[in-house]
Amino acid sequence: MKTVTLGTGLAFWGDALRPAKEMVERADIDYLCCDHLAELTMSILTKQRLKDEERGYTSDVVPLLRSVLPTCREKGIKVISNAGGANPSSCARRIVRLCGELGLDGIKVAVVTGDDILPRIDELLAAGVDLSNMDTGEPLETVRDRLTHANVYIGCEGIVQALAQGADIVISGRVTDVALYLAPMRHELGWAADDVELIGAGTGIAHLAECGGQATGGLYSGGWQEMPQLVSIGYPVTTVYENGEAVISKTPESGGAVTVGTVSEQLVYEILDPANYLTADSTADVSQIRLDQVGPDRVHISGVTGKPAPATLKVNMGYRGGYVGEALFTYTWPQAYAKARAGIRFLETRLERAGFHAEEVRVEYLGHNSMFGPGLIPEPDDPELTEIVVRWAARCRTEEDARKVFTESVPLYNNGPAGLSGIGTRPPIKELFALWPCLIPRELVPVNVDMVEA
Amino acid sequence: MATVRVFDLAHGRSGDKGDVCNVGLVARDEEAYRTLRRELTPARVKEHFGDLVQGEVERYELPNVGALNFVCRGALNGGGTMSLRSDHLGKVMYAWLLRMEIETEGEDGDR
Repeated sequence: MKTVTLGTGLAFWGDALRPAKEMVERADIDYLCCDHLAELTMSILTKQRLKDEERGYTSDVVPLLRSVLPTCREKGIKVISNAGGANPSSCARRIVRLCGELGLDGIKVAVVTGDDILPRIDELLAAGVDLSNMDTGEPLETVRDRLTHANVYIGCEGIVQALAQGADIVISGRVTDVALYLAPMRHELGWAADDVELIGAGTGIAHLAECGGQATGGLYSGGWQEMPQLVSIGYPVTTVYENGEAVISKTPESGGAVTVGTVSEQLVYEILDPANYLTADSTADVSQIRLDQVGPDRVHISGVTGKPAPATLKVNMGYRGGYVGEALFTYTWPQAYAKARAGIRFLETRLERAGFHAEEVRVEYLGHNSMFGPGLIPEPDDPELTEIVVRWAARCRTEEDARKVFTESVPLYNNGPAGLSGIGTRPPIKELFALWPCLIPRELVPVNVDMVEA
Repeated sequence: MATVRVFDLAHGRSGDKGDVCNVGLVARDEEAYRTLRRELTPARVKEHFGDLVQGEVERYELPNVGALNFVCRGALNGGGTMSLRSDHLGKVMYAWLLRMEIETEGEDGDR
C-alpha cells in the first residue's frame, strides 16, 4: 500500500524551531509541513507589508529553513509552509536568497497565491457578493473603512499543483492549516479531489498533526506529570496510508509521548460538530474515529471519513478594533485586598479627571480570578492575604485614552494607599483587530501557482 | 451515589473559534464516559460556566474515544482578538469544567 510520511515542523509563528531540525535529522519523513498563521497573524503581516513592500511574511521561516534545508536537500524532504502570509512572493524571494547563502542550487520554490481579496473588495461588493458578517448579519459597509486584511482560507488545490510541477518548497499565504498536510497526501497517494471519504479522512488526520506538540504531550492534562522531557518534545510524524488510515508517532529520541490520551486531547481541540468539520477541502467526519495504541509512541488512526466540501469558503477579514491600555500593580499584607480596592478607586478617580473614555473595563486579580473571572470566583476578602496583584485593563477607541491607563496609575507609587509595589515600566499599547467572519463562493477565488528557482 | 469531580473521570482541552469556546473532555474509561454523558447535559454545563458563557452550549459525542465536545457560544468576551480577559483564547476553560461536581452510581448504589 502506498504511504506518505509527514513531519510537523512548526505550528504557529514564534513556535520552537528545534523540533523541526531534529525531525528532519532523525525521522524518516517525506514532507515537512509548517503552519505559521493564526487568526490574527494576517492583520499583523498586512500592516508590515503596508509599511515595507518587502515584508509581510512570518520572519521565522528564514531561521527555520536555514536550520533544515541542507538536511532536506540531502534526504529529499520537501517543505510546505504558509509563512508567505501577506506577502508570499517576497517570502519566496527571500528563500531563494537563503538557498544561495547556503550554497544550495536547483531548488524549486513554488508560490501559491489567490487568498488575498482585500484589493478586490469593492469589485466583489459591486458584483453583488454578500460579505455580511455571518454571525451578526451586519453589512460590510459598517467596517469597510477600517479593514486591515481580507484573506480567504483556501484549500490544498494550489499546493497539489505546485507539487505536481516538481516544487521542493511550497510557500503560500492563507491556506487552511490542514491543506498543508492534505496536499502531499493527495499528491503522493493519488487521491482524487472528489473522493470525499478519503479527503475527509486526510482532513481529520491533518487536524491531529497540525498543532505540533499539542498531540505529543504538550498541554496534556490527562497526566502532565507523566510526560517525559517536554522541553525536548518531538513533534508529530504522521504516516498516512492510501486507504485513509494513519499512524501518528514522533521524532525518535525526543521528549513527550504519543498515546491515545495525547492524541484524543488534540482531537477535541478547536472543533465544533465533529461530524461536520468544515474546511475548504472537505466536510470531514471525525465523530466515529478510532485510536489504537500500536506500539510505544505510536497511535493508529482509523474511522475518519467525510462529505463534500462546503460551496463557500471562509474569509478571514480583520478591522481595527481599538486599543488596550493596561496597568499592573501589587498590594501586600496587611489588608492587601482592602488596599487594592482603595488603589483601584484612586486610579479610577484619576482617570475620570483625565477625561478618560473606555468601551469596556476589566479588573482582575492575577493568581486569584484572572482566568475564570470575578463572576465565578468570590472576592479574596481575607485580611491575612500575603499579596494581591491587580490587573486593570480597558479597551479604548483611541490610543491616547489607552495610554492614560498606565500614566494615571503611576502616582499610586507615592500618593496611594500603603503597601504597593510591582508597577513595572510602561507597557506597549496593544492595537486590537476584530475579526469579520464571512463567506465567499469558491468559484470567485482563483488560485495561482508561480515557480522560482534558486 | 458518590460525588466526584469531572476531573476524577476525564481530562480535557479547550480553545477558541471567534467568540466560541469549545471544551473537549476525554473520559478516563468507558464507565466514566457513561457517567459524563448522563450528568453533563448542555444545560448543566452552561449553568456551571455562569457568566463566562453568555450564549448556548451544544454537546457532541465521539463515542469510540469516549470524548464529549461542548461548544460554548458567546464565551470569549467578544472573541480572542478583542477580549480583555487574561485567558482571551479560552485555553483553560476546560479546567473550570473539570472542577464541576457530579454524581456517580457508587458501590452501595442503585444499579
